[in-house]
Amino acid sequence: MSEAVTEAVLKTEKVTKVYTMGKREVRALSDLNLQVNRGEFVAIMGPSGSGKTTLLNVLGCLDKPTAGKVVLDGVDVSKLPEGELYKIRRNKIGFIFQTFNLLPYLSACENVELPMENTKRPKNERRQRARELLKLVGLSGREDHRPQKLSAGEQQRVAIARAMANDPAIILADEPTGNLDTQNKHEVVRLLANLNINRGTTIVIVSHDSQVASHTERMLLLKDGRIAKEKQGLHLVKKKLMCPYCGSKIQPNDEKCPSCKKRL
Amino acid sequence: MLVIVALSFSLAIMISIPAGVIANQESTQNLTRNLNSTIIETEQQINQSTTLIECTTSTGSMFSGPPSDMSGFPSSGMNRSGFSFTREEFYMNESVVGNIGSIAGVKDVVPFLVKSSSETTQETITTPMGDFTMSRPLYTITGVCLNSSFIDEYSVLPTNITAGRNLREGDSGVLLMSLNLSKYYGIGVGNEVDVNGTSFTVVGIYDQAGQNSMETRGVYMNLTDAQTITNEIGNVSRLDLYAENVSVVDTINTQIQSMYSNEINAREISVSTYADRLANLQSQQTRYTELLNNAESTVAQTQSVATQEIIVALAATSLIVLFVMLYTVRERTKEIGTLKAIGFSNWSVMSQFMLEGVILSLAAGVVGIGIATVGAPILSGVLLPAVNPFGSRSTGFQTGGLGTVASLGSSTASAVVTPTIMLLALGAAVLLGAVGSLYPAWRASRTRPAEAMRYE
Repeated sequence: MSEAVTEAVLKTEKVTKVYTMGKREVRALSDLNLQVNRGEFVAIMGPSGSGKTTLLNVLGCLDKPTAGKVVLDGVDVSKLPEGELYKIRRNKIGFIFQTFNLLPYLSACENVELPMENTKRPKNERRQRARELLKLVGLSGREDHRPQKLSAGEQQRVAIARAMANDPAIILADEPTGNLDTQNKHEVVRLLANLNINRGTTIVIVSHDSQVASHTERMLLLKDGRIAKEKQGLHLVKKKLMCPYCGSKIQPNDEKCPSCKKRL
Repeated sequence: MLVIVALSFSLAIMISIPAGVIANQESTQNLTRNLNSTIIETEQQINQSTTLIECTTSTGSMFSGPPSDMSGFPSSGMNRSGFSFTREEFYMNESVVGNIGSIAGVKDVVPFLVKSSSETTQETITTPMGDFTMSRPLYTITGVCLNSSFIDEYSVLPTNITAGRNLREGDSGVLLMSLNLSKYYGIGVGNEVDVNGTSFTVVGIYDQAGQNSMETRGVYMNLTDAQTITNEIGNVSRLDLYAENVSVVDTINTQIQSMYSNEINAREISVSTYADRLANLQSQQTRYTELLNNAESTVAQTQSVATQEIIVALAATSLIVLFVMLYTVRERTKEIGTLKAIGFSNWSVMSQFMLEGVILSLAAGVVGIGIATVGAPILSGVLLPAVNPFGSRSTGFQTGGLGTVASLGSSTASAVVTPTIMLLALGAAVLLGAVGSLYPAWRASRTRPAEAMRYE
């Protein structure tokens, strides 16, 4: 990915979200400005109550901001009515949840096909694409398994495949590793990183796990509904095919640095 | 699972009720048909014999008699604590034949001896007011004077011969047996049967279809044979007296009345002319009309009860669907949120849940049809009042008489689930499923997609 391309996929302008709880007003987001460029891998971090989830809901058109503007892929979604928003969610956004949120009575393949339902794509093409995506996340041969037959890591990989079904402009992941053990956590993060490198998928992760966040290229620290700090992540170095620890050359799919043997 | 059972029961009730109502209507129609055909049949018989004067002794024909007999509906001699027939039997001596025959204007006098068999059976009759057990003679022996001119000119023998031949002049030691009696014994033409200790050969089988079942169990034989085996030598129980023409009937009647005034006053002999029989028929008709009115008013009652019950069943079905679907929607909030987050429209979420409600209700409908097919007679019996032609007065039973009870028995139809009812029930199931899941589905479609983010 060339860094010269800095087209904004997602942009917020002075986004404010106020919840009214009884008589008390809670300001979850206040005048938040954010830009995510195409092909970026961004992490949003912050302590609980900092407005992470609210921000993600607003970015994902699951919730409307009280004030301000959210522009997604050139469309001002903060003005759209619900009757239009579902199309944005279907076509432009891929969601990954902490609890995977797969439909238990559908097979892995059917779960991946789900977002493509109600699209013009023909049935056999949907199935074809679902199988390809499952192969991409390393689950060939498990297409017909129900979620409960899959491990937590596998379930989250199905969810990642599902998020990519309609080739969204951006993937929003809410604590994608929150329910995973260390081994699976690394695999899922590496999968997301590889998707970002190999396919140029724009990804925004919300996480309070700094280890996970450090694998992205840009970390935003949220505090009291604003972006308090911005840091570069290891991923940026990885994107340049250079080991972040010893500076030697690496391949995009390497799990460990060939020279210093550190886990990437 | 429990839900399906509850739903299907509620639907089964919904199906059984119309089946029951239809059955009740059918019963009433059958009753009407039976009563009307009885009236028409009797009327025909009466009109065929305008010159006939019947002289019957009190033992006469409690249950039976030749086709011309009108007293098929005795009006007394029964009580509800079990049927007992305690009337004293009285027979006329054959000399009466000569006395009556000498009256001017009398063309022929046909003597009969009608007597019950000594064998009896216990029988249970089911009526709307409960079951009645009664003991009655197994069959009736009718002795007929087998004079060929009588046989040719008057109806003295049964006409509907289903096997073998009818009786004819000169027959002795043979008998004609009713179809149901031959079935009861399992014997046919050519067999030997024992009647009151004497052996007879069956020469023919007759069927008195159309008349009520109480009357059709009998044997016909030569008068002399009948007198011998019943120990009534020289006795007759009925005389059919034929006048030369209609105009002399009244004169003959007057003479008989004066000749036998003692016996007639003592009710040992009753005399009936064409006019008497017609009057009797009319009173019967009045009684039948009353019965039919009663039956129809109970059917009307049934229908209003049915309407109420169907409304309750409809409401129950859609309420069950409503609560089940509300529960489902609540349980699956996260799933609904997920669907909305990954791009399902309100409408597709709503139709998804509507469809689920309809399928649930339809499945229950299929099970309900199964239950109703088997249980409709029981369910409708429990849920609906029975058709009761006797109204609320139990005395109606006594005035109704035995013949009516018997024809009622054959007119009762049981609830049957027809294909039409099945289709209607499936339609209703779909509709109720849709109605019941409308609100839950709407609730589901209003679920905020952010709910998908909530952790369990």
